[in-house]
Amino acid sequence: MMRTRFLSAAAVAAAAALAITGCTGTSGDQSSDVKPATSGNVTWWGWTPDTPVAQKYIEEFTKDYPKITVTYKNFENVDYRNTITPALDSGKGPDVFDLSPAGGSPDTWGPYALDLTSLAKDTLGDGWKDKIGGDYVKQLTSSDGRFVSLPLGGMSAGFLWYNKDILDKAGAKVPTDYASWVDTCKKVTAIGKTCFTMGAGGKDTFPTEMYHSIANTVDPSFFIKAATGKAKWNDEQGQKVLEIIKKMKTDGIIPANALDGPQYPLANNEFMKGDAAMVQMGFWYTQYAGAESCKSAMEAAGVTSPTCFVQLPAQFPDVAGDGHKSTYFGEADYGLAINSGSKNIGPAKTFVAWMTMKKSGQQDVANALDLLPALKGTTPDWSSISLVNDSVQRPAIETLIKDSGDTTESRQWQTTEKSLDAIVVAIQQVLDPSVNKSIKSIADDQQAASVASKVGTK
Amino acid sequence: MTVTALETESDRRAPVVRGGGRPTRRARLLPGGLRWILPAFAISVGLIYYSIIYSGYLSFFSWPGGRALMTPVGLGNYITALSDPVLWTSLRNTIVYFVVVFVVQVAGGMLFAAAMHSKVRFANVYKVLVVIPVVVAPATLAPAQIQVWQSDGTVNSILGFFGLSALQQPWIGQSTTSLLVVTLVGCWGAIGYGFILLYAGMSQIDPELIEAGRLDGAGNFRVLFSIVLPSLRPIIVSLAILNFITALKLFDNPWLITQGGPAHSSEFLGTMIYGETASTDRNLGYASALSILVLLIAVAVSVFMQLRGRERLTRTKPRRQEAADV
Repeated sequence: MMRTRFLSAAAVAAAAALAITGCTGTSGDQSSDVKPATSGNVTWWGWTPDTPVAQKYIEEFTKDYPKITVTYKNFENVDYRNTITPALDSGKGPDVFDLSPAGGSPDTWGPYALDLTSLAKDTLGDGWKDKIGGDYVKQLTSSDGRFVSLPLGGMSAGFLWYNKDILDKAGAKVPTDYASWVDTCKKVTAIGKTCFTMGAGGKDTFPTEMYHSIANTVDPSFFIKAATGKAKWNDEQGQKVLEIIKKMKTDGIIPANALDGPQYPLANNEFMKGDAAMVQMGFWYTQYAGAESCKSAMEAAGVTSPTCFVQLPAQFPDVAGDGHKSTYFGEADYGLAINSGSKNIGPAKTFVAWMTMKKSGQQDVANALDLLPALKGTTPDWSSISLVNDSVQRPAIETLIKDSGDTTESRQWQTTEKSLDAIVVAIQQVLDPSVNKSIKSIADDQQAASVASKVGTK
Repeated sequence: MTVTALETESDRRAPVVRGGGRPTRRARLLPGGLRWILPAFAISVGLIYYSIIYSGYLSFFSWPGGRALMTPVGLGNYITALSDPVLWTSLRNTIVYFVVVFVVQVAGGMLFAAAMHSKVRFANVYKVLVVIPVVVAPATLAPAQIQVWQSDGTVNSILGFFGLSALQQPWIGQSTTSLLVVTLVGCWGAIGYGFILLYAGMSQIDPELIEAGRLDGAGNFRVLFSIVLPSLRPIIVSLAILNFITALKLFDNPWLITQGGPAHSSEFLGTMIYGETASTDRNLGYASALSILVLLIAVAVSVFMQLRGRERLTRTKPRRQEAADV
């Protein structure tokens, strides 16, 4: 009796230990040989796109493949990172999952993903790499040379979005340099609106985009050089960037409440409520130029019965005054990876290939105005897109898409998380009225806390 | 007969026959009870200790999780942590938070408990009001707190209304006040918790003791400091230990209100560890090293507090014995 009990307890303990240590089988890349299928179920997990956008993609996909059922599950950014690993380890993970180039993700989650080279080659032919935009293929390849995520699209940043209605009402112009930005802000604040909204509080790395844009007006090559260790953040250029940020606050361009919270929700809500004239956001903000998506975004920001305003992109002003145009920067936003342990590799391949490499799937991506389509030559079908003010917004967005396609500088791919955090802390110290440190000392601390990236330097 | 968790020294030495029960019954009950709780006990303790040991193991690696390569770094993560100024800021903030919240909790809890023990009208209503902050989830509370403390928030509006515009501050958005905001929010919830324990503790004080004090001419303060406070010492020591552990693993309020910022000024060990696990590069080895440091600090401080408590007990016992002999 005692012996039986002991054995039972030992069996339970062993089962628990196995469950804890996750001793489950793993499947290798032999799954790469599985052919795409036209029926089955696919689960897709991601932090982006938002569920309504994903549903739109899935609806279009189902028209072409009615026997494949795709179920999408959206997570908040951090939740996604903390959920996906145990899910994949336990063998209960999704068939398809988002995988971006940021923070070494292709090396972290790439080992769970199929090598998609053969799928890309089969779908696009031998010259498949040339048919995908930017450096997206390079950015989504792990350090062991496996192409682990097929890019759905890219994005660019380094420009402003402005509310045309507010600027018109204030009689202000879109700023092009420092002096005109100060002038615009005076006119906008005179009508009781915030000129430029910014959320630089917390740990969010959004403020690094402003740093990057300003750095590009100081010295167009400085940011990437400093990020990859070929220059130092406390070099003359780095100090000048921080000095400009400090001056922008003193002169009323950066608002006094910038450290009250992160960009989302603080700056996003102020802009979408129509309380602020300008905000720095990336290409993904283009979607809110849409007549319907603009309403949803305003409602999400807390506006009841919203009336959409005309929002337009504008180049980041030449705040350094050295005549350097602040060029855009961008990279693959995210791609779709196929779980190598999935039991639905066939339909998953069909879905991923359709979304990322087929004209119809990529057309949907282009029409959502959320990403720059990964497949070269895909542009939005304007006849199916309704903007708030088509005649004003469409030419501006077309120019933005063209300029974004010409981007040669990466956004965060070549910058380590430590360096991004150090930039955020430096900006916070510059903007914090209670910090009594010199710009030189702040830049020195920034350099000390940064770690140079080796990505893309070979 | 019931077997209570708290047994006195005399209980353990000799079986006591209560209510005419059989003295051998207790001895039979214990092993049986142990059998019942053993599986749950083994799993829960196994999980906890497994996690601690696994964290200790991970702390010697650089590892972002999953199937990524685990690179052994020896004591590298500990050396990095101890030379990281953010860790020392977090520890300083932890101590400040602990001291302020503990003092406010005991003082506030005592005040409310004493007030509720006197004959106050609507005492039950006040009790509910004091205890509500304890049961409100931080995630529910945080947006309201942000609204209160942000630059155009309630506090600055009130200051402006009373002509105190000079005192208006970006409370959350500056290094000198962000920790204050997080600490005050902590105090708000802690007073209710202190009140519950201290109110219960006061109920256990023999009224005759207080009456005897009064007859000897003791005033309210004398009664409070000479009779009530010494009687509540075990509860206050427990509150100190619990508060210190809470401060060590504090995460929810600072993360939801300031995310440890600006510039790490309201950083705590909990937010620091979470920041490492939640970042895109996920430094799980470093986060594990931080967790082990937190564990070591928690164990060391708890042992220290317990030992200090025992020392005081042994020092006061002979004095009490002498008094009794006289």
